[in-house]
Amino acid sequence: MNRPYVRRALRLLGAVVIVALVIAFYFRVVSVNNTTVALTLLLVIFGISTAWGLLEASVASVAAVLGFNYYFLPPVGTFEIQDPQNWVALTAFLITAVMASQLSVRAKRRTQEAVSRRREVEGLYALSQSLLLSGSARTASQDLVSRVVKILGVTNAAFHSRLSPETFRWGPDDPLISDEQLQADRDEPLIDRSRGLAIVPVRLGGQALGNLGLSGPLPSEEVLNAVAYLVAIGIERARVLEESSRAEAARQSEVLKSALLDALAHDIKTPLTSIKAAITSLLGQPRPDADRELMTIIHEETDRLNRLVAEVIEMVRIEAGQLHLEKGPQDVSEIIGSSVVELKPQLQDRLVEVRLQDSLPVADADFDFVRQALRQLLDNALKYSPPGSPLTISARAGEGRIVISVADRGAGIDEQEQLRIFDKFFRAREHRFRVPGTGMGLAIAKGIVEAHGGKIWVTSEPGQGTVFSFSLPVYRGQMVQ
Amino acid sequence: MSAGKILVVDDDPQIRRVMRATLIGHKYEVSDARNGEDALNRISAEMPDLVLLDMNMPGIGGLETCQHLRSGSDVPIIILSVRNSEKDKVAALDAGADDYITKPFGMEELLARIRAALRRAPTSPESGPHAVSTEDLEIDFDTRRVHVKGKEKRLTPKEFELLRYLVSQAGKPVPHRELLQAVWGPDYGDEPEYLRVFINQLRKKIEPNPAKPKYIMTEPWVGYRFATPAQELPPSPE
Repeated sequence: MNRPYVRRALRLLGAVVIVALVIAFYFRVVSVNNTTVALTLLLVIFGISTAWGLLEASVASVAAVLGFNYYFLPPVGTFEIQDPQNWVALTAFLITAVMASQLSVRAKRRTQEAVSRRREVEGLYALSQSLLLSGSARTASQDLVSRVVKILGVTNAAFHSRLSPETFRWGPDDPLISDEQLQADRDEPLIDRSRGLAIVPVRLGGQALGNLGLSGPLPSEEVLNAVAYLVAIGIERARVLEESSRAEAARQSEVLKSALLDALAHDIKTPLTSIKAAITSLLGQPRPDADRELMTIIHEETDRLNRLVAEVIEMVRIEAGQLHLEKGPQDVSEIIGSSVVELKPQLQDRLVEVRLQDSLPVADADFDFVRQALRQLLDNALKYSPPGSPLTISARAGEGRIVISVADRGAGIDEQEQLRIFDKFFRAREHRFRVPGTGMGLAIAKGIVEAHGGKIWVTSEPGQGTVFSFSLPVYRGQMVQ
Repeated sequence: MSAGKILVVDDDPQIRRVMRATLIGHKYEVSDARNGEDALNRISAEMPDLVLLDMNMPGIGGLETCQHLRSGSDVPIIILSVRNSEKDKVAALDAGADDYITKPFGMEELLARIRAALRRAPTSPESGPHAVSTEDLEIDFDTRRVHVKGKEKRLTPKEFELLRYLVSQAGKPVPHRELLQAVWGPDYGDEPEYLRVFINQLRKKIEPNPAKPKYIMTEPWVGYRFATPAQELPPSPE
């Protein structure tokens, strides 16, 4: 704490000693005229003012005037002055010494200020450049704190990020920058030059990102504010970069997943294509009955394998969030009609009743996927209701939704099983070994309906039949006339 | 005598083997190509009567190959693909394919489609209408040109045949089966999704607002009907 005062006192003493040495030199060693002594003393005083400052120079001036008077102006050995001309000379000497010292000190201060401004600007530039090199928001924060210490020449720097929230510190352990001060809400910087502490809010576009704390020799307030602004830009830049690279990584992973699923579907279906083409080709030719029976088995099992693969891939797609719906205005009656026509070979002599509410609104849906979901429900109804029993498909609208239902007159589903019927691989106990299926159909239908933002549910009365229903959003887009 | 010359384009050697064996058994001449580039190189030398084209191949894919083939030739093209979404069918048909069959397929079905494609003979122009003209739609069946609001629209052969048949029955609902058989052939009839693809494409090309069609009307559960503005007036008592 006392060091600056001690140094100053030593310098003052030094100034007096130097003046004394010059006077002693001319008084004892070399004998010269008074003008030479005065000019030498002036030179020494300029030197002191340039090197140490105005106070030292002023003390040296007074010492020089007193010494010059005592040792060189007659009567020598006294502080008296006989010749009035010498009074004038002595006064002129004092004024010249003090004024010249002042000028010299001012020039020196200007130079120092210019140098420190230049250093500050260089520091800010270096800091802004280093911002371009930082990586993630987290490493950027740590990096920035260490760079602030290095570039600004402060002892310690700490940044408290409000977004994480986390505190990053750099420099020796220092109790001066407390967590409390760093975490406080502040609009204005706190600058305490006597303790060498500054806490500057870091904000960008009105949003508070945190506080930057510095301790040690502080730069000017302008520089502190500029540093805080640079830190804000650096952190925001790192955050945006991180976010965009994360989004890009996610997008690439989606693309990869989708491509993998496509490749998988293709690679499994290609050999199935050869098998099916070969076996159907053989079946197209006249064959003995026994051969035909075996070939028919190969054919049927190929189809079964194909359906299984299609369902598994569909299920994986749904679970990976890879259903790429192409929603648009869809006429529900067309979806129903097309599903029924497609199932015609399986319908045989079944009666399918279709009940459509008058002036049904258009659904916002992907035709292919909704048709697939409806087909699963129809397929299910066909499998689990007695041959020849009728099916009813109905569609009605209400509360911004269109509800499509498939009703059968099967044995119904008990309450326990209703809860689990849409689970993947779930098969009803009594049908598990009787009716072929993978247990994925309803889970796929559910995935498709939910991807549309709809709901799927079942109501059933054991012994009476089952109704599967799902809802689709009504198309809200412009239907230009 | 050969029933026709077929170029099989598929990157999978086993599929090419099965095709070759079966098609030769049905009296077709068969040549094959392993990819799109190979197919394009062979087409001018081989002069096939029909091309079976795999959609998913390395190098230039099936779609691009189809476009290239179509730009220089009128040969019937049947696309073979593992994908069965409407989007993929539309893309294939839009690239100029005549037909689309999903892998895996039964050989009987493929043979039927090959026969239909080879038989492709447009319904004779004399029996059908010659022209339709409304405020925003002009169809000239003799020159095979369609103008919508003065702008010429390019229709694929199948789209054109579909439109011609609907217009020839203007005002009457044409059932799905009848329409499919009239345009694709007698082996067709259970491909309503097929018709949907082509009707959608046609609507996009000729309807001022495809979401609210005024020419090609859907007759729920029956089929489609071509409505001319005059026929939309209340019918006069007979």
